[in-house]
Amino acid sequence: MRDIVFWLSGAALAFLVTAGAFLFLANLATAPSENRLNPDQARGESGQAVDLILDRERLSSLRSLPDQSLDLVVENEGTTQLSDVNVTLSVSSENTALSDFRYYRQTVEKIQAGEAARVRFEFDLPAREDPVARAPTANPEPSREILQIRATTPEGNSTVRTVILPS
Amino acid sequence: MLSRVGWVAVLSVAAVFVAGCAHADKEVSIAPLVPAAGRVDPGLGPGTRVLSSGPGYKGSPSWSPGGDRIAFTVDGYVVDRPTDSEDLRRWTTRDFIAEDTEWISEDTLMILGAAPPSGTEETPSSLYRARADEDSLELEKVEKEVSAISPGRGGLIFALGRGAFESGLALTRGSGDVRRLYSKSIKGRVASLSLSPDGDEAVLAVRPPGDLETSVLHVFDLRKGKGREITRLDGNQEILGTPQWRGQYLYFVAGVENTPVDRDGSEPLYEIYRVPEEGGAPEPAPGVGEDFVAASIRVSPDGERLAVIGRLNTKSPTNLYVLDPLAKDLTAVTTNEDMEIKTGPDDLAWSPGGESVAVIARGTPSTEPEVRAAPADRLLRDFYNLYEIPVNGPEDAPR
Repeated sequence: MRDIVFWLSGAALAFLVTAGAFLFLANLATAPSENRLNPDQARGESGQAVDLILDRERLSSLRSLPDQSLDLVVENEGTTQLSDVNVTLSVSSENTALSDFRYYRQTVEKIQAGEAARVRFEFDLPAREDPVARAPTANPEPSREILQIRATTPEGNSTVRTVILPS
Repeated sequence: MLSRVGWVAVLSVAAVFVAGCAHADKEVSIAPLVPAAGRVDPGLGPGTRVLSSGPGYKGSPSWSPGGDRIAFTVDGYVVDRPTDSEDLRRWTTRDFIAEDTEWISEDTLMILGAAPPSGTEETPSSLYRARADEDSLELEKVEKEVSAISPGRGGLIFALGRGAFESGLALTRGSGDVRRLYSKSIKGRVASLSLSPDGDEAVLAVRPPGDLETSVLHVFDLRKGKGREITRLDGNQEILGTPQWRGQYLYFVAGVENTPVDRDGSEPLYEIYRVPEEGGAPEPAPGVGEDFVAASIRVSPDGERLAVIGRLNTKSPTNLYVLDPLAKDLTAVTTNEDMEIKTGPDDLAWSPGGESVAVIARGTPSTEPEVRAAPADRLLRDFYNLYEIPVNGPEDAPR
């Protein structure tokens, strides 16, 4: 009886160790969470980097209407405090013949090392009307809106995210 | 002993749960897109070179005579750039609507298009000349009511409207000035045209008076100044794009316009046909499978091969092919699965040396917001952009 329990326990232990190893390996390749979009950054040559984190659900809820808002997180990935981080948002059309380009800017005064600051942009996202008489050959498709967000430290390190909203 | 083994088992279970259920805080980054220069593989095969980036609806690529620059339309206006750098040069104002553009020298572009319309009245297209050495974006109007242009021997050939039901042809010099205006009219509106290999004749796709479809193929002898009808399509078939002259045959894409979509939602089907230059009934081009769905064709500079944008069947992705009608061989140049290659009739162009073809393509647009880690003007797959695709000999290309 004692031998049977010993062998059963050993087999269970071997199984669990193997399963644990597989789970550990699987965790190394875990995909990012649905709500946090974090592509690679365009870092400067030197200095501390900032990261921009956007909320996918919030992006999906944007409509071609006035008074839209977008919350984003600016993260200090460095080891020292950052001051006066400029965050800009530009709104433009996929149709480059349209000159209606809008630009918004905010400054984050301080972000502690390893900490993050929340920034909210309030902006208009009106439905664009292509010029009435544009020939079908010019651009027959409805144009998408493009949001470009850039966070820049005083040292010149910047991180950019381009959001393409479906038409 | 038993209790010790039991404790080890319990601890192991706990360790497995801790290791398995705890998600790492650090997120895995999405790889940034490749820079918009140099040779990359954007899904169109190795050796593909990017010729544009960023937003904008691109069309009508046209290589300079030396092959070191390429002009194209973006949302209607005209730009060009060297093939080896990103130094974009604009030729028209952003409110200009260009349909087509062709080089007549290394520093002169002929542009078919319309200036900004006034009111709601449709503005007919005119032929304009633009020079690279001029500072302003002003265009010089060469001729009004022009319906089609094509590069010609030492200049340009173009079709112009004569009243409501007739068209005429004209040739320009290398400077862009009109050299010869043919008095003989063609019944109907010339939708597109191209030259024979020797440059002495032009093949025209014509919309007959009162018809809705471009259904007649004409050949016009530029030495004698007279034309003749080669074939007329039956029913409500139409000719799509520009007919091409290869050897003793005229090749064109045709199909039934405004066909109700198939049950699977696919678009109307167009095929490649050919007809002898003496005239006769069109026949399917040799070497092309009967299920092939064609979009546009362009004859190579040496006059031997046809670049074809199309699909092997209705369920296949769109790709670039090269057809050698003599060998009855259709070779796949790209084996793309996830890029949308633009299928407009003027959206492909052979390089002057015939070693590559410029096409316009993009990734499939998403119905969800897309986030990229690069400025918009550096993005490639998210928008229609130009790519130079090397065309190897038939023996080198994938089937």
